[in-house]
Amino acid sequence: MAHRLQIALSALICVCAGASLAAAQDLALAAKPATARATPALRTADGQPDLQGYWTNTTVIPLERPKELADKAFFTPEEAAAYAKNQLATPAPTGPGTYADVHYNMAQFGLERSQTKVAANIRTSLIVDPPDGRVPAMTPEARDRNAERAARNKGHEFDAAENRSLGERCILWPNEGPPMMPVGYNSNLQIVQGPGYVAIMQEMIHDVRVIPTDGSPHIPSSIRQWMGDSRGHWEGDTLVVDTTNFTDKTAFRGSSENLHVVERFRRVDADTVLYGFTVDDPSTWTHSWSAEIPMTKIQGPIFEYACHEGNYGMANNLSGARAEEKKQQVVK
Amino acid sequence: MNKLLGICLLAAAIPVWAHHSFAAEFDVTKPVKLEGTVTKMEWINPHSWIHMDVKNPDGTVTSWMIEGGSPNALLRRGFNKHSLEPGTQIVVEGYQAKDGASRANGRDLTFPDGKKLFIGTDASERTPDEKPSEK
Repeated sequence: MAHRLQIALSALICVCAGASLAAAQDLALAAKPATARATPALRTADGQPDLQGYWTNTTVIPLERPKELADKAFFTPEEAAAYAKNQLATPAPTGPGTYADVHYNMAQFGLERSQTKVAANIRTSLIVDPPDGRVPAMTPEARDRNAERAARNKGHEFDAAENRSLGERCILWPNEGPPMMPVGYNSNLQIVQGPGYVAIMQEMIHDVRVIPTDGSPHIPSSIRQWMGDSRGHWEGDTLVVDTTNFTDKTAFRGSSENLHVVERFRRVDADTVLYGFTVDDPSTWTHSWSAEIPMTKIQGPIFEYACHEGNYGMANNLSGARAEEKKQQVVK
Repeated sequence: MNKLLGICLLAAAIPVWAHHSFAAEFDVTKPVKLEGTVTKMEWINPHSWIHMDVKNPDGTVTSWMIEGGSPNALLRRGFNKHSLEPGTQIVVEGYQAKDGASRANGRDLTFPDGKKLFIGTDASERTPDEKPSEK
């Protein structure tokens, strides 16, 4: 069951054989034969499209299209299978005494992506717009802002906990979003719906997004939050979630507090939620961009992560830096 | 297709996400091989910690802490609280903490007979066209 690789590429082959590229593009993923697309959306007891359940967005597809595939938005099924196989292969052993070697055996600790279920995807990038599959150019303002951010921390990376990344500090991980990006392991989430709300619990690293769908407006712009303020509404069978009010510390790929995220969730079949998002921030990118990430069903439950209480690594990193400083002083 | 495979190989070299910088916590110049007895396992995130007693050449005993993977991932792979009971003999290869404490990363964990503590999926089992069986 969960102990084996579960990638639905065979189903993918079914649809690609009979569907045109345009149809595949429209479907964005190819998890079921074309006829299955007409299946009515699964409904909750109160008639909403049913997005509930346990899902993973683990993927082998990179956010940005590799430059070598510049003209190729989609793999053939054979290419997709070869690509996935290579992505899921065990990395070559690293040399003893190298920094790359100071890690643990991912296979032994269940941390390889091959050990989790991966949604089928024939795209060569998660980004679907712009058509080149790459994040648009940053504005000069954003480049300056990010250079300043980096310069401020340079040489102080291990001064204190506040100098470390949000992930290391157990504050925010990219999977939590929005937008909710796949991460290397434990990239699992649960969606629960109730009257007027949709809640999304991410396994890593601890947060639950409670998204009102009752038509209420965003909170005042003076209030800024790590994950912004999300408001949802239904457009047909698609849940559309609009998020604003970010802090400038969230900095999704160098964004500012003006980041605006629109997410779309659609249950395309019993085993798949197609998740898409558009990000817009005129003070960061020259134009908006969009990505699509199929999420596939997994067996629950979502386990508690409780990142902060067990975060020995933070103290150990800092004490390691202090030991290094002492060593340098002795050398001087 | 050759071009595609080239890209695949390049992409496969990208390191897997880690919660923190291993190179900042552990010293690349201090490889260790520890043989000893498990005293307890801490099931905490973001990393599990295995505690073990290691007998030194002079007969004294040092308690070591070994950093391991996320308990969530271990549990999904079938590793549970009975998988590494106190009293179990293990061999750990890794790197010692930079601050000189008796801590190391559990790069490779084996039983004294050489068997791996936790058997990851063998590459030969990974058939991308395998149908999903979990529902």
